[in-house]
Amino acid sequence: MRKAAAALLLLTAACAGGDNTSPALGGGTLVIATGGDPNSLLPPLVGTTQGRQVTDLVYDRLASLGDSLNTLGDGGFIPQLAQSWTWAHDSLSIAFHLNPRAKWHDGVPVTSSDVRFTLGAYRDSSLQSTAAALISSIDSVSAPDSVTAVVWFHSRAPEQFYNATDQMSIIPEHIWKKIPIASWRSSDQANHPIGSGQFRFASWKQGESVTLVADTGNYRGRPKLDRIIWSIAPDFNAALARFLGGETDFFEAIRADAVAQAQSNPNLKLVAFQGIDYSFLQFNLRDPRNPAKPNRLFADRELRRALTMAVDRNSIVRSVYDSLAEPALAGSLRAYPTADRSVPPIPFDIAAAGAKLDSLGWRDSNGDSIREKNGHDLAFNILVPSSSKARTRMAVLIQEQLRRVGVTVGIEPVEFPVFSDRSDKSDYDAEINSIHADPSPSGARQDWATAGIKGGNNTGSYSNPVFDALVDSATAAYDPAARNTLFRKAYRVINDDAPAIWLAEPKAMVGVQRRIHVTGLRPDAWWQHIADWWIPAKERIARDASGAVTTDPAKKNP
Amino acid sequence: MLSLLVSRGLQSALIVALVVTFSFLLIHSAPGDPFAGALDNPRVNPAIRANLRAQYGLDRPLPEQYVKYVAQLARGNLGWSFSRGRSVRAVLGDVLPRTLLLMATALVASFLIGVGVATVQVSRRGSALDGFLDRASLFLASMPDFWLAILILLAFSYWIPFFSIGGAVDPVVHDMLPPYARFFDSLWHLILPAVTLTLLYASGIARFQRGALLDVMPLDFIRTARSKGLRERQILLHHAMRNALLTLITLIGLSFPALLTGAVFIEKVFAWPGMGLAMVGAIGARDYPLVIGCVIVGSVLVVLGSLLADLLYRWADPRLRQL
Repeated sequence: MRKAAAALLLLTAACAGGDNTSPALGGGTLVIATGGDPNSLLPPLVGTTQGRQVTDLVYDRLASLGDSLNTLGDGGFIPQLAQSWTWAHDSLSIAFHLNPRAKWHDGVPVTSSDVRFTLGAYRDSSLQSTAAALISSIDSVSAPDSVTAVVWFHSRAPEQFYNATDQMSIIPEHIWKKIPIASWRSSDQANHPIGSGQFRFASWKQGESVTLVADTGNYRGRPKLDRIIWSIAPDFNAALARFLGGETDFFEAIRADAVAQAQSNPNLKLVAFQGIDYSFLQFNLRDPRNPAKPNRLFADRELRRALTMAVDRNSIVRSVYDSLAEPALAGSLRAYPTADRSVPPIPFDIAAAGAKLDSLGWRDSNGDSIREKNGHDLAFNILVPSSSKARTRMAVLIQEQLRRVGVTVGIEPVEFPVFSDRSDKSDYDAEINSIHADPSPSGARQDWATAGIKGGNNTGSYSNPVFDALVDSATAAYDPAARNTLFRKAYRVINDDAPAIWLAEPKAMVGVQRRIHVTGLRPDAWWQHIADWWIPAKERIARDASGAVTTDPAKKNP
Repeated sequence: MLSLLVSRGLQSALIVALVVTFSFLLIHSAPGDPFAGALDNPRVNPAIRANLRAQYGLDRPLPEQYVKYVAQLARGNLGWSFSRGRSVRAVLGDVLPRTLLLMATALVASFLIGVGVATVQVSRRGSALDGFLDRASLFLASMPDFWLAILILLAFSYWIPFFSIGGAVDPVVHDMLPPYARFFDSLWHLILPAVTLTLLYASGIARFQRGALLDVMPLDFIRTARSKGLRERQILLHHAMRNALLTLITLIGLSFPALLTGAVFIEKVFAWPGMGLAMVGAIGARDYPLVIGCVIVGSVLVVLGSLLADLLYRWADPRLRQL
């Protein structure tokens, strides 16, 4: 009945004058189930995944990161607005040669002046762009002619190309220069983006949907889909029901407990790919009540190692994720070229953990099954966000496993904003955190090095000068082999120091209706190749009929 | 009448002012970072979040923030929603009509059904039908609203795929439709959430109204009507019903806050993009201005509901007009 109603509505639309004839090169509608609205559609202000998904398709960069996630030099980068580039001999500047066919969606050509304008916008303090700090190595942009943008750097650095290209989406000067920058955030234009990407913005109905349509005259080629719609459903179960019921085509975050249900549906397929998330139980090495003092428990490296030994990470991963995750690597990800799978994790060995705790003076002297030392029980709390079922389950399993060696663990489930606030303030004994990592392994500096303690993500205050030096050297290395060696040495150091119990590296799992042919899911951004996804003409359904739009004035919009 | 309106208007303004103050203090006292959930970029570190807090003045002392908020509220400015990147007024302009549509539909339908069911029960007092309707209304009235909503969603959207699973319109086709088809598309999506809300409130209304009618039926004027030879149906609909209206009016006054609360759960389950859903999201995101904006609108609706009930009392009961 629902399908009949949808078909009837579409028939009505067709009768009302819509052109349902799909172009020969492409066609079809992809409906993506998503949990919320974008926080903004203006690239310098985008902070959420939903916002990135939309703006990455509407706007272009000079070049984008390749599937290998190489951030060193320009290897593997895919040209977007810049069809080629030339490095200066001293590497202090890169001349990007823009594609002369590139146009904004309103038909105005993209010029080097837009690149210069974009840099100024990202840096403007009134915008408070989260990317401003990431492009601090750029000195300026000059525009010797309309299709050449020269990016000048303060100093050369291994990731200078990555910072100059992947961190900035180019925005149109002719649109934004008319609006005072302090008013951008609240301007109507911010919700009606005009970009140069292969999809152009059609509509954003807050709480309902965001719609993009194919830009058929795009300089990078016509996308194979006509239309992409993000259908917003904040409730996970409602979103899942929509997907299972065929109302949406793509579900970006299938959880382990929903896999069997999705697998049993013959119209659906599940696609797993390497993700860039990992979770861990982080110890706070400072006293949460007085950060000037070391933590009475976790400042002791050997105690952290003993607790790690007592936790069976493999069984936790199997229990929580089944086969959809692997045990996490120390401070690293399998997707990184620097990853070292040969680093032996601290082994799971309850007897050895017990012996180590005994040797550290933590013994059960009063027979209450809890170890004590100097009159204090070996007890601590784990902070978890209640919104994450996986992390809550892991906390429960860790609680039980540590109970067996005489450690009392309390679990503090709190709302995500509270979790984040307390984590930022290091207001916890231990927390189960998860990092959606940066494509660059140098993100370890912010996450685990001393530099990340103040203003970074190293809220557990782990600090080891050897680790810091290795990460700094690796980040500054130009030679990939040397970089890999240095990072791998750093991973061994942090593995041995056990500032965290490394728990799970989940595989990213998406659900797709079978008629959608998916190509290339980049670990950090599955949507990057969405312009190449396609729906065979014979498999298209009623909702695949739609109209694409062109910026090419020579072609008439359907 | 004028003095009543002026007096109730002043009382209402005081109530709304108190609601604004308490909600401002409560939401700002709740632990949590407004920029935690909204920014999942791995490179957005605590320092950047601190800058954002400073940009919105959240690093200032609470009394200073309160005075600033009240001053801007006095100018009709409800503030800026952090989580939605728009003014609170614009957000409410989008979501409030949808909630009002849902509430109004449910309100009218639940009163019609509730009163109808009560009338049937009283006219067939003691029959099997009366017993069945009594147990059914008790069952529905005692069902948690979110549970009933999930059951209805699963039953009519998934197991028997008759209706769309959530949303206010079909995002795929709605914009391509002519106006009349858009209307039917919206209506189609309204049915399940409105039916759920209606079932929840109709059952309560039926039970109250049945009690009110049963209280009226033994009174002298009913006996007089019977002795004059009027038919039972006429007595029930023309005499008893009119005198049992006061209960109904009380229920109208009470139904506004109840419907608003119920709409929060219903909107969440059916992904109905109304004020309830916006408020739930805003609380989770610690979007202070949007939370307070929703609370203000909610309190104004409740106050208006109460005022409407007062006016209806005076219309229905001539004794009150003498006071």
